[in-house]
Amino acid sequence: MAHPYLFWLAGAVLLVAAGVVTTLLPHRRARSEQRRTAWSVARAAIDSAAVSRDAAPDRVPEAERLLTRAESLARGGVDAARAAAEHARQADRLWRGQR
Amino acid sequence: MSARGYRRLAEPLRWAVLGVAVLVLVVFLLAQRQQGIDVSYGRSPASTAGVATDSAGTADRATVPSVDEMTALVAAAPVVRLPGAVAYWNEQRVREVAGDTRILVAPPGLDKDERERVRDVENATIRVIGTEVSGGFYQASSDTLPAWRAQFATGDVTDLLIALITALRKESTPADRDELRWREPSGPELTAVLTDLRATGRHVAPGATLTDVPETAARNAFPDGAWYVALPVQRYGEPLPRYGPALSAQFPDQPIVVMYGLWIEYHGPGAADFAELAGASFYGQFASVLSRSDYPQRNVLGVYLNRVTDLRYAGLFERPLPYRPADPLRVALPALPWLFAGCVAAFLILSARSLRRPDRGLGRRRDTAPVRLAGLTALAVEVSLLTDARSNPALTRGIVALQAARSAWEEKLPARHVRTLLDEATAELDDTARQVGIASYRPDNYLRGRLS
Repeated sequence: MAHPYLFWLAGAVLLVAAGVVTTLLPHRRARSEQRRTAWSVARAAIDSAAVSRDAAPDRVPEAERLLTRAESLARGGVDAARAAAEHARQADRLWRGQR
Repeated sequence: MSARGYRRLAEPLRWAVLGVAVLVLVVFLLAQRQQGIDVSYGRSPASTAGVATDSAGTADRATVPSVDEMTALVAAAPVVRLPGAVAYWNEQRVREVAGDTRILVAPPGLDKDERERVRDVENATIRVIGTEVSGGFYQASSDTLPAWRAQFATGDVTDLLIALITALRKESTPADRDELRWREPSGPELTAVLTDLRATGRHVAPGATLTDVPETAARNAFPDGAWYVALPVQRYGEPLPRYGPALSAQFPDQPIVVMYGLWIEYHGPGAADFAELAGASFYGQFASVLSRSDYPQRNVLGVYLNRVTDLRYAGLFERPLPYRPADPLRVALPALPWLFAGCVAAFLILSARSLRRPDRGLGRRRDTAPVRLAGLTALAVEVSLLTDARSNPALTRGIVALQAARSAWEEKLPARHVRTLLDEATAELDDTARQVGIASYRPDNYLRGRLS
């Protein structure tokens, strides 16, 4: 060992690094999971709305506009995913209510 | 221990380990400031101050005449004794070898310039400064205890003179002869000494220069206390009173230090073990300094006592060492890096454990999603044969939800999310079944039937 102080320094750095990693990693993991979940919800809602659209006897321009907007949001964070899901659900409701 | 109990224990353990690591680090950092702490075991506490310097041991009252005056004196007589001279010799024995040797005897305690002046007297064959005998390029010196005793207790330089004269003439040197004689101290003498020793632990005879005993040195050398008898330099040719053995005979367990001038003797317990060694090493080192200088007895005694302490701590004779407790911090310090490394490693391992996905073990046991997914998929396939245009959209939406649930489950998204999607699919399939009009295809009934 080059110098006794290096030993302590390395130990302290390891401790801090381990602390940072154990704090940041679960946080990032949770965020990523949240985002993927939100997008999973949004995709399900969009697909569901698309089915409703195909089944609807008439065109509903507002619903189509909403769905287009939802599809255009297909990239982004949790907020974008929630907005897309909300638009898609609204469109779905409109198409279903038409019958 | 169950997995859950282990997990519950791991987290506090992890933080405890971190705390210990930080504590160890802090102790280490604080210990850096205390490098001055010095733990030694059995190191002699004797002070290292010696006696040998050029100016030490010089006396103001000692002086010599000018070189010319001394040269004239030496030319006039074969032996010149300057005032204050302390060296004596057996004139009979010296005369036998002397021939026309001229001897100049100067007092001890001369400073450097005065010694130079004595050496500049060229017609003196031999110069005696104090009891230091030199001549030509030679200097005679004793190397046995009896010789040192004669030299320092009575100022006897007979053997030194004979050795130097014969050496200068390149003749063979006759063997040294110990001419010192002893006598038993008389009853009144011994009584007077004993009275002093009992009262104060030391006896200073008239003419002795011992003012007091150096306290620390005395305590280190003789922790149980010792008696000190200080006598002046004894007159040459007269027998020395043998106080040491006389006192030791009466008090066998009492360490006794007897000084005759600058000659120091030890009597008492352990004398056979170290008295000769202490004397030989002390006079072997300091004899040449002591012989030409005029130290008070106190200084010489202090150095002698330090030497005795050194010998004692060197373990050369049997005495218990004083116990010195070791500083626990210093003793523990070498373990700190290992403790720290262990804590860091434990923290790293526990941290890595805490990062592992917690859902797996728990989820697999309770996760009903695959069963429901399979059941609902089978239901959707069966129902799809019976649907018409009216019920198709609900079925399709149910299948879409089922697909979403499947991919969510495969992606290991939270179980709650998968359940929500499955609920959605269940609602759509329930719709379908109601529109088709077959109650047994309603998901609740269908799944119950499948499972039973």
